[in-house]
Amino acid sequence: MNIKEVLEPIFRQVFDDEQIKLAAEMTADDVDGWDSLSHVNLIVAIESKLKIRFTQKELLTFRCVGDLMRASAEKAGLPVA
Amino acid sequence: MFFNSFEYLFFLPLVFLLFYVTPGRFRWSLLLWASLLFYSALGSWYLLLVLSAVAILTYAAGRLLGLASTETHKRLILWAGILGNVAILVAMKYLTFLADSAQFVVGLFSGQYEAPHLALLVSIGVSYYVFQAISYLNDIYLEIEQPEDHFGYFFLYLAFFPKLMQGPIERAGDLLPQLKKPYHFDYDNMRFGALLFATGLFKKVVIADRLGIYVNAVYGDLASFSGLPLLAATYVYAFQIYFDFSAYTDMALGAARLFNIRLTDNFNSPYLATSIADFWRRWHITFSRWILDYIFKPLQMRWRNAGSVGIAAALLVTFLVSGLWHGAGWGFIIWGLLHGLFMGCSVFYKPYQKKLHGRLGLVKTTRLKVWQVFVTFNLVCFAWIFFRADTMADALYVVQHLFVFSGNQNLLFSGFREYELAIVLIGTASYYACRYIYTRRVDLFESKVWLRWGIYYYICLIAVLFCVKRASGFIYFGF
Repeated sequence: MNIKEVLEPIFRQVFDDEQIKLAAEMTADDVDGWDSLSHVNLIVAIESKLKIRFTQKELLTFRCVGDLMRASAEKAGLPVA
Repeated sequence: MFFNSFEYLFFLPLVFLLFYVTPGRFRWSLLLWASLLFYSALGSWYLLLVLSAVAILTYAAGRLLGLASTETHKRLILWAGILGNVAILVAMKYLTFLADSAQFVVGLFSGQYEAPHLALLVSIGVSYYVFQAISYLNDIYLEIEQPEDHFGYFFLYLAFFPKLMQGPIERAGDLLPQLKKPYHFDYDNMRFGALLFATGLFKKVVIADRLGIYVNAVYGDLASFSGLPLLAATYVYAFQIYFDFSAYTDMALGAARLFNIRLTDNFNSPYLATSIADFWRRWHITFSRWILDYIFKPLQMRWRNAGSVGIAAALLVTFLVSGLWHGAGWGFIIWGLLHGLFMGCSVFYKPYQKKLHGRLGLVKTTRLKVWQVFVTFNLVCFAWIFFRADTMADALYVVQHLFVFSGNQNLLFSGFREYELAIVLIGTASYYACRYIYTRRVDLFESKVWLRWGIYYYICLIAVLFCVKRASGFIYFGF
């Protein structure tokens, strides 16, 4: 299983949208309802699912979904794609 | 030397001329010396020392950050740089307030403590370039930017005179590359810059200062007013502060454009915001992005396991800092906390509000938008009461008497009569008409001579004929 297959269901659940398909270049502007609350819910859900913890620095430097996927994959020991 | 002073109207073209004739490799140096001269013209000798101290401290911390090899060292240097800058800011702006507040608190218990008398220091510009310095260090730490090697360019990044006193608060990644880019004369930049400067001056001397006459008359004698005049002053102040600050921003952007520098616009029709969060995406944009990136997001992430409560707490702290940044006074703190409260509450009610709008079929309708704009504008105006009032007692008087319709309910009075009102209305309408013409309808610089020069002459003539004679500084100079 790769990181995209793990994260996509989480995104769909947090944003309540079964149509979401993750892409590396995707940002918050591309997802309806991605605000500060859903962003926190997303990060907490990912950390809980993968049993990882992002550092403050990592969280503040994520610029797109691709950054999030790479960091999650590295911490969880999963392939990116 | 204010932007709306005669001295500046000589200074700016003179600097531009000298800049134009100076060899390319020395132009940064000319701009830097001009900026330091501009700052020294305020008359407070220590301000140059403060600016230099911030520049040297931040430059050194930035270089050290670039050389640090471990995460621990990097964090140590980052925090040393931030705390050093904050200490300078506190010393310049808040010592008197802290001493007076300590006297008040201790006096509640013992009544014996008298705070040392501290002279109020002039601190124009310090809040802005200290925040720029902190953003620079953070961006190096987060590896968004590389440390700047050239101290002269870095000093100029902090001191560049069009934005020195009142912002915009520029990111290193946006401004530094522009300062280093070789200059080539651009006729369109020059005339657009001049036009922007002139329209900013128009807004300030015709509209903002005139609205200030009304507001100052009411707030200067509050006991004589209640009901409609207080309501009117509340709404008028909202427009005064907008026209005043946006006028300064236009003049700063216009002046910078002469040198081919594009500063960040600080406003995007803030009173058309549909929520307080939306308001802060449109008002003082460079400042709100700063507090979002460097205060809210780190706190939000640190408190992420507390869910909505964590976010609400992060918002409250962020806007408390926002209030404090604006000034050492309880009015500013209350103003900031009100915005934090508005935003914090929305974290809890927004999901239900969204469902309600859906059930009522209001989503993306015009009537919902109008309602949201109306509510947001009134919340913002209410908070402005605390921002404008000279004391908390004054603010509370206004709040308690807004809807007490007794006594004199005339909206106009001596000092602000039909003539002044007409100037404001005609000035505002013609400002927006000119803007509409040259931003939406025509490419002004390609348009007919009569239209182009008609607009130029109109702006200058009206500004000269109808400027408020008593020159005043800009409101945001005080922050």
